[in-house]
Amino acid sequence: MKGVSTQKKSTGYQRVVLKNSAPVLENESTRLSAVEFKQFIITGLKILYGEVGAALTFDVLKYDEDSRTAFLRVPSRGLVKLWSSLTLLGSYQDQACAFRILQVSPFLLALTGNSRELQLD
Amino acid sequence: MSVDVCEAPHCQLVCENSSFLDEENSLVSLVQQLHFNYKVSLLIPDCSSAPSHLDSVINSFSSFVLIKNMPVSEFIDKDFLETAVYPGSVCALSYRTRIGEDNCVALMPNGRLRLSLDRHSYHLLGIEGKVSKFRSKGRHIVSVDLTDSSMAPGGRGYDRLLSGLTCRLPLTSDFLLSHQQGVQSCLKSLLSRYDWSELRPEVSTKVLHQLTCPSDLGSCDAYSVMDWLGAVDAGISSSIGSSSSFLSTYTCPGPQRMATTALSISVSGFLLPHHVQILIMEVRQFLEQSSSPWASLTVHGFTDNVVSCCENEHGRLRGGVNFYTLLMSKGHDYKLLIVTGSHDSCSP
Amino acid sequence: MVRIKSRYLLCEINVTDKSRLLLLDDRAVMTAVRTAVARIHGDYGAAQCIIGVSVKYMNAHTGMVFLRFPKRCYKLLWSALPFITCMETRGQKIPCFLNCLHVGGTIRTCQKFLIRYNTQQLHRLLPKCKNEDEKHVRTALLKCLLPGETRETSAEEADSEEDEVV
Repeated sequence: MKGVSTQKKSTGYQRVVLKNSAPVLENESTRLSAVEFKQFIITGLKILYGEVGAALTFDVLKYDEDSRTAFLRVPSRGLVKLWSSLTLLGSYQDQACAFRILQVSPFLLALTGNSRELQLD
Repeated sequence: MSVDVCEAPHCQLVCENSSFLDEENSLVSLVQQLHFNYKVSLLIPDCSSAPSHLDSVINSFSSFVLIKNMPVSEFIDKDFLETAVYPGSVCALSYRTRIGEDNCVALMPNGRLRLSLDRHSYHLLGIEGKVSKFRSKGRHIVSVDLTDSSMAPGGRGYDRLLSGLTCRLPLTSDFLLSHQQGVQSCLKSLLSRYDWSELRPEVSTKVLHQLTCPSDLGSCDAYSVMDWLGAVDAGISSSIGSSSSFLSTYTCPGPQRMATTALSISVSGFLLPHHVQILIMEVRQFLEQSSSPWASLTVHGFTDNVVSCCENEHGRLRGGVNFYTLLMSKGHDYKLLIVTGSHDSCSP
Repeated sequence: MVRIKSRYLLCEINVTDKSRLLLLDDRAVMTAVRTAVARIHGDYGAAQCIIGVSVKYMNAHTGMVFLRFPKRCYKLLWSALPFITCMETRGQKIPCFLNCLHVGGTIRTCQKFLIRYNTQQLHRLLPKCKNEDEKHVRTALLKCLLPGETRETSAEEADSEEDEVV
């Protein structure tokens, strides 16, 4: 009645989810829609990793326009590529911007319980 | 030097199928071993409101205390040892300290004090510790059993630790403190000396309508179940459905069905394992009476926790996660999914 | 002794118009490779392309090129080669594509492969000879090639460990 199985994720399958507080823009009034947001990230991938990088599949699971926070999902093979291109994305339509990665986890479930978000005072 | 850009951190998922009736099930011990729980979230499909007894359990999670700028040496204060540590029901964790950067402190209910220190602080303290498994750059873990006879006030080990924590390394931090019998009554003298505030765990209840869920959760593989639960918890489920969308290709795994209502409850704060245990019992009872086919309960540990399960060291480096999910179905069967990063050691 | 390890790719430039092959030089090939890598692999690829990448040998008559890539990233750079569709030289665009024949660890193994490859090509082409003069050339060639070939193969085995297994 008891079965314990330990699995190590195979690379082909694994998904990594990033929670990413997205572009901190100079001009706060600039608004980005979800589609523009994804397009912006793809542009970044294309600059750093070329057409092969731009073909990387990733999902914008949830995007909040006001806080510009998004949940991204990417196969584990593409994690380093996506992360590094986000880091090196420095400008959006000629204004300086930066991405802040808040949390990275192989499980989407882990992103909903980040104790660093605990604000007590 | 170039690195492989296709590499990602590994992590382990342990999946256990068992029954509550099984005498040897590891659930109770697991729940008891994770002392520092940050959040408990519960998902029950086909249920629109929690029955009163479940509600009362959820609201009965004991309050905890945030103490500002307390020296660590207070934990080995003679008075504190006698009232809190020896009876063994106090839990404390340093608040807003990040495990990779700062010195972190945890006091477990079994009387173990654990400090995660950087190289400089470690040398200042002068108590023997182990090199951290995850951070080779001089991070050390010092673990002291306060209930040990040598650590009794007046003993040699005690004096050494006391002088270390008061003179050489006067470590202060904000602390979260929880006590099974209520903090205020037991630790009056301690609290009177510091700035503190009592806090109640935050409860949020959501009723989800028209939720697409996998028709047979038991047969889905563990990874997609975890992902789906996460999607529901994060509020992503509403946009699920199209696999050809530009933004996201995420879809609900396996054959689907529509649940008209689902109840999602989450409690966050500094939660004791004791209450988690009671909640599990209550959900089990609830399942027997209701029409819901299953219920899932997820317990998240603190991210910047020095200890992971089984009192092993917890490392946050590169996606260190520590949480477990319990899928309970009607009857007494359950499925336990434990996740630890590759840097966390865990032996189920 | 430590040496910087490289991979040498023996490539054949295929053009539709053979006469335009002579216009190409190693700089044109290098530029084409660099542009293709930058397009396919972006800044990351272009950066990998800076050190240790060169055209070691180029035969404009046969269209054979030796490309030298650093060992750590040769697969990445190699993957961009099929995307070269034309080369630009002296203001002219020459449509062409690269055909990779061999990957080796040293120039020596590549050269040996090339000799063997050319011999094979010759053997394939010679039976098609039509007139008497050509046949004469053929017999002469076969005479001097055959013993040479056997010697070549025995030498080949001796340092086959330097060869890259593709």
